[in-house]
Amino acid sequence: MAMLENNTALVTGGRQGIGRGIADRFAAEGARVTITGRGARPDDLPAHFAWASSDVSDPRAVAELAAGIEGLDILVNNAGIQVEKTITETSDVDWDELMGANAKGVFLMCRALIPRMSHGGSIINIGSISGQTADPGLALYNASKAFVHGLTRSIAVDHGPAVRCNAICPGWIMTGMVDAAFAVADNPEAAKTDALARHPAGRLGQPSDIAAMAAWLASDQSSFTTGQLFTVDGGLTASSPLNPGLFR
Amino acid sequence: MMLAGKTALVTGGRGGIGRAICERFAREGARVFAADLTPAGSLAEGQPPDDFIQLDVTSEDSVRAVYDHVAATADSSLDILVNAAGIEIEKTIEETSLEEWNRIFAVNVTGTFLVSKYALPLLRRSQAGGGASVINFGSYDGFIADPGLAAYCATKGAVHALTRAMACDHGPEGIRVNAICPGYVDTPMLQSFFEGDGSGGDGCTIDSLQQAVRDVHPMRTFGKPEDMANLVNWLASDEARYAAGQLWVLDGGLSAQVQQMKL
Repeated sequence: MAMLENNTALVTGGRQGIGRGIADRFAAEGARVTITGRGARPDDLPAHFAWASSDVSDPRAVAELAAGIEGLDILVNNAGIQVEKTITETSDVDWDELMGANAKGVFLMCRALIPRMSHGGSIINIGSISGQTADPGLALYNASKAFVHGLTRSIAVDHGPAVRCNAICPGWIMTGMVDAAFAVADNPEAAKTDALARHPAGRLGQPSDIAAMAAWLASDQSSFTTGQLFTVDGGLTASSPLNPGLFR
Repeated sequence: MMLAGKTALVTGGRGGIGRAICERFAREGARVFAADLTPAGSLAEGQPPDDFIQLDVTSEDSVRAVYDHVAATADSSLDILVNAAGIEIEKTIEETSLEEWNRIFAVNVTGTFLVSKYALPLLRRSQAGGGASVINFGSYDGFIADPGLAAYCATKGAVHALTRAMACDHGPEGIRVNAICPGYVDTPMLQSFFEGDGSGGDGCTIDSLQQAVRDVHPMRTFGKPEDMANLVNWLASDEARYAAGQLWVLDGGLSAQVQQMKL
């Protein structure tokens, strides 16, 4: 039996990658899914998805989007960007763009939609393992994800039992972002071998791995689950950043 | 001097980290009892400025005898207890025999339990303004795993939980309990880890392996026993009067980062 029959879901930043993986899974579980993204509806987006052109960092756009929604069951705050810089390299524009999408966007969407969700609705924020421990050269990204983790707990505390709110912390998920990272490695094949060796699961993640957690957090199976962070990273962060075996 | 007038007992007091703690405590004006299996411990050279007591932390009789001695020579009072005795077994659970498992739990966990249990009557008599201080040795391995150290990781996780429990139970009696969680510290145990890992093979020298490991640390170096002693000294002092029940990670930033892919 489908887990999300008769549910309505909104997934931000669902054009591709993890957001699209979550949208696909939700649809397969019987939910009616609206995907948001900046710009026009992608040509190849299947007809069963509704599309809303909306920028999560723009308060007016978010208000307009929310005005058309009533009784939403599931909100997934997935939209996010990455800026590969240390703080001394980061410009004010970088700050506004990154924090606008990753931090302010989650705030704006939750503020606008919590009053419009059905009782017992589920908010799922996409945090990151990088919000718990640092990835080098991703300072604002790391910090923005830590913000998401903190906001997740606050929403759970302030707005339960009306809504539940949890975050998923993905590790290395094979998306365009990760493909690009391997492509520019000195030795892409060796880089991939090394990355695999660091994952007890023996593989990198797929958007469907994150979608599996999201489906559970969206379903009634998790009705007692709120305010928590769920790491889905193939075991990466369970082991030390050091693994002497890899230095041979 | 931060520890003038205080009395301290350090288990594993002749080991790599324990010895540095004893030397620091003595410099800070404490009366130090260094307890270990043998006067040489894991380091043979020199004679530190402390009173040596033979102690097997896994033996209740041995622990009691040590406190009889401390009570007789230090007015039945103890201000500082450092549970630094510990061993490491470099194996996965499949390779670990039950005997080895029981042995490492006996030293790292039961030892911390026994030595703390029988210290309580003396710690309660401490006149230290900042309270009596117990400092256990956990490890960053109690939070995240190093490969091939399964039982060790488990013992350190147990010490972390025990630290919080002791802090809750005995805080009201004026006894502060904290744990230091070292990362890679340059000690005989670390050398054994590198050699035991077999990483010297495959055309890679232990030196080059160690350098590679140092380079993963944000501080680009291993810790020294003295670095651990710096924090132990603070926790033992009255400066730390409000510090209790915490796990203090001291690892050169190692565990602040996600694993570093070789891109």
